[in-house]
Amino acid sequence: MQDPRLRLACALLLSLAAFASIAGAGAVFLWWLVFTVRQKSIRHGRAIAAAFLLFVLIAVVMIYSGSDGLSYLVRMTALLLVGAWVYADTRPGDFLATGVWLGGRNTGFELGMTAEMAMGMAEGLFDDFSRIRIATVQKGVVWGPRSLLPAGRVLVRDALRRADETAEILAVRGYRGGGTVCTSFVALFPEIIAALCAVAACMVAIFPRW
Amino acid sequence: MRLELDYAITPRHSWSLEAHGIFETGIHLVSGDVGSGKSTLALMMAGLHAPTSGAVIREGIGSMLVSFQFPEFHVTGLSVAEECASWGFEPETVIRQAGIDVLPEIPVLSLSRGELKRLHLACILSRECDLLLLDEPFSSLDCPAKEEVCRQISRRSGGITVIFTHEQTIFPEIDHLWEISGGNLVDCGRMPDALLHWKHAPPLVRLLIEKGRMPVSLTPEGLQEAACRTRD
Repeated sequence: MQDPRLRLACALLLSLAAFASIAGAGAVFLWWLVFTVRQKSIRHGRAIAAAFLLFVLIAVVMIYSGSDGLSYLVRMTALLLVGAWVYADTRPGDFLATGVWLGGRNTGFELGMTAEMAMGMAEGLFDDFSRIRIATVQKGVVWGPRSLLPAGRVLVRDALRRADETAEILAVRGYRGGGTVCTSFVALFPEIIAALCAVAACMVAIFPRW
Repeated sequence: MRLELDYAITPRHSWSLEAHGIFETGIHLVSGDVGSGKSTLALMMAGLHAPTSGAVIREGIGSMLVSFQFPEFHVTGLSVAEECASWGFEPETVIRQAGIDVLPEIPVLSLSRGELKRLHLACILSRECDLLLLDEPFSSLDCPAKEEVCRQISRRSGGITVIFTHEQTIFPEIDHLWEISGGNLVDCGRMPDALLHWKHAPPLVRLLIEKGRMPVSLTPEGLQEAACRTRD
């Protein structure tokens, strides 16, 4: 989906649908099957698998404690698929362009720029995490949940340091806030259909509650 | 003991890297510009990045260590002492070897990038292993620290040591020279004849060769000897 505005709208509607009910989650899953290139919509398969396993674990705990763990698992899996699709489909500049279109030259620009920076950092985090895992294992440490704490410490510290440096660079270059991006959006017919179907999925999720 | 790259090819964004050659016991220098694919090659040689075609064959290599460019990736301890202990060393010994003036109990991530790099290199170079891959070991270091690291690398006996670097001034005693050029790993040969085939040779080395003063080694002493040589 090349129009970032429609992608954002679809992501919001589908997330709402998936969160609202199992019927909505089912509709979201169908939407994902029909409108995404499934193999390309999942980057960093291991991270997605790890998140899914975490949901399974929580669902099992919920079932044993008497809650509806299955419903939680289905809805969270649908949300995960939507998130993975948005992440895989996003191109550099999309958030900035959408932010300015949606929120104007001040707040919109800054929100868009923040989202762009977060996406750029997220991409680097996967590589950094992979290297940290390799470096830890070669010390003779068995990689497991306990290794996540030192790895997370390094990643968070590095992210904060980079954010600090970026802020300084922006200040040195004279950035005071706000800005503009001149982007022309092109919404293709299949994308409009996909967006309408996302609205339908949202309706499916909400109707049983009426 | 040897590591063979059998026409191993890996795509990387808009280009690909092709590597063919045999790395035997000794110290190897893989030279290349920034972004030429040195880190990718290091990961491929370590078996952490699979080539899309060709193969990486390790014979007689039982243990391996990789040193990444950013020393933070290797940190698992909270304090300097814990970090040294995670490598199996006494902190005082490592701190002395690294040549840094820090207390063992201070947080390891409070060290500057240069100090952390020296601490990490002191740990990894003290470990015995069959294959040691050093990705940009000289980055973040000042000249005296680079010279000390070079001395430590030159002292390594046995095993295969491969240094991936774009360094142009300070080198350890090396046995074999390689360079990455145009997406290919080029075998320049054994030292010192390899210098004649080194396309990205540092200006000083090129000048010495042009003047007919072929350096015997790339160490500061070797280059100084060639520069001061009065007759061959």
